[in-house]
Amino acid sequence: MNTLKGFARGIWGGKLLLTYTVLLSLTLFILMPFMIIFLKSVGKDWFGKRWFPPTLTLEWYEWAIEIVHLPDVMKNTLIIAALAVGMSTVIGIFSVWAFGRRHLPGKEILMAIILLPRMIPTITYALGIARIFYGLDLVNTHLGVALAHVAVCAPYSILILSATFEALDERVLEASAVCGANALRTFFFVTLPLIMPGILSSMIFTFSTSYNEFTLTLMTYGPDTMTLPTRTYLAVGEGYWEVTSAMSVIMVIPSLLILLFIQRQVKPEKLVGGFKGV
Amino acid sequence: MVRSSVTVALEWRANMRGFFARRGAWLITLLLLLPAMASFFGLFFYPFMVTVVLSLRPEGEAVGWTLEHYMAFLSDPNSRNIVLLTFVLAIGATFFSIVLSVPLSLILRDKVKGHRFFRLIMMIPLVIPGLIGALGLLVLFGNRGWFNLFIRDFVPFVQGPVNINYTVPGLILFYVWLYFPYTFLTTLGTLEGLDPAIEEAARVSGADRWQVLRHIVLPLITPGILSGSVLTFMAAFGAFSIPLVAGGDHRPLSVEVYKQIDMFIPARWSRASATAVLMGAMQVIFLSLYMRFLKRETRS
Repeated sequence: MNTLKGFARGIWGGKLLLTYTVLLSLTLFILMPFMIIFLKSVGKDWFGKRWFPPTLTLEWYEWAIEIVHLPDVMKNTLIIAALAVGMSTVIGIFSVWAFGRRHLPGKEILMAIILLPRMIPTITYALGIARIFYGLDLVNTHLGVALAHVAVCAPYSILILSATFEALDERVLEASAVCGANALRTFFFVTLPLIMPGILSSMIFTFSTSYNEFTLTLMTYGPDTMTLPTRTYLAVGEGYWEVTSAMSVIMVIPSLLILLFIQRQVKPEKLVGGFKGV
Repeated sequence: MVRSSVTVALEWRANMRGFFARRGAWLITLLLLLPAMASFFGLFFYPFMVTVVLSLRPEGEAVGWTLEHYMAFLSDPNSRNIVLLTFVLAIGATFFSIVLSVPLSLILRDKVKGHRFFRLIMMIPLVIPGLIGALGLLVLFGNRGWFNLFIRDFVPFVQGPVNINYTVPGLILFYVWLYFPYTFLTTLGTLEGLDPAIEEAARVSGADRWQVLRHIVLPLITPGILSGSVLTFMAAFGAFSIPLVAGGDHRPLSVEVYKQIDMFIPARWSRASATAVLMGAMQVIFLSLYMRFLKRETRS
């Protein structure tokens, strides 16, 4: 009824139609790859020029679990992401603390230097990382792959956290000190709760970065540290599109959950906002 | 002997205490910055230097200096096509992202019904692994995909399947799918940061909607759009997973680098490194030119 009223009011009647045509076709453009992948993953005997698969099956998911060892791959991905998130968050908190709360000359230049890895194609330093890690026997270890991810995750974490720390009000901390709390108490009971949302969003973003990271993983992975993107890539080479689709569907779910969280908790502009200084 | 070393230790401790008292604040700052510096030098700067050094070594050897890999790349007639392709893809993707983002953000700024939902949808490509996007698009635009079925069933006068996969326009389309949200979000952000009073003033002065858009809004958001498009450009220039899976015979620089390691036995690390260094240099040069152009535009 409301929609009808909107039409009746005729706020640019024709324009409204155009607006929704544009919006819906773009939405379809973005969503259709996922729909078709989903159908591919549950469809059987989908050959020839048909719009939909003739029969439905969960067979490809069984294949993905039993033959491609998806649970192991998922475990690797999560371990690596957790390590990368942990390290980058610690790096982020420390350096942002130094940036925001301490007098530091040349802050701008330091920040620019730290963000440098985001401005140069990943593959240029991924080659070097691979060579160094081969020498240190870090290739094909969870720690090694996670360390490689830190190269791109840490700058991200620093970016997001610096916004949080800039918003931290000095007077609140002073008030806490005046009330008799020592530095540790102030940190744990005042500062930490204030910066917690920032830390959380930094963790979410670095997790997403690590989870999706492909170039650096490809240069440092091994049979024991297969992550979801690399496994999917290999599966493409093996040519089983249905199984690959099933893996993709499983892989997309955490990403979509992250998106929902981002939308609720953080301003989406933060995803790209940090690049503004580029 | 023992006594003296104890004295030395004590003296050292006393010294350190004084040092801390004077320099304590500084030291703590340095300590706080240490992890970031370690990760920057250990995981970016040193590896980058390793790549540079590797590119100057004869293939497979740890000593000696040579420029042969750069020469080999620069004199290879294929290289020109590869570089050209990389720039065509990146610039094409950037251009079409802008073309797509401006009307889209103008629409979504008006808070039309369901604008939250549409915003959410437009951000999906940002959080999705590029590989998955590439797979889905390959299936969607394949000869038996929905796109060609749609053309077969609903579009008259078009004969046979339209080839999109593994072509340059197709790759640009895939790039736009994956990388346009960067431009879109910054454009939307700039638009929403615009003071509505400016537009109202123009409206009151008798300008119609189109004139306001053409002469007021667009010039004001151009710097924002352009700086947002830098992100799309960088992502598209360094894109790896999409062209690796969906490029076919079209190999931009990043894939060319990887192929040197992946396709040759023994792997051609030095050649790959030389290509990667050239790629990095090209991106930095192009970006700095672009930024300079951007600054001039913004000032005038």
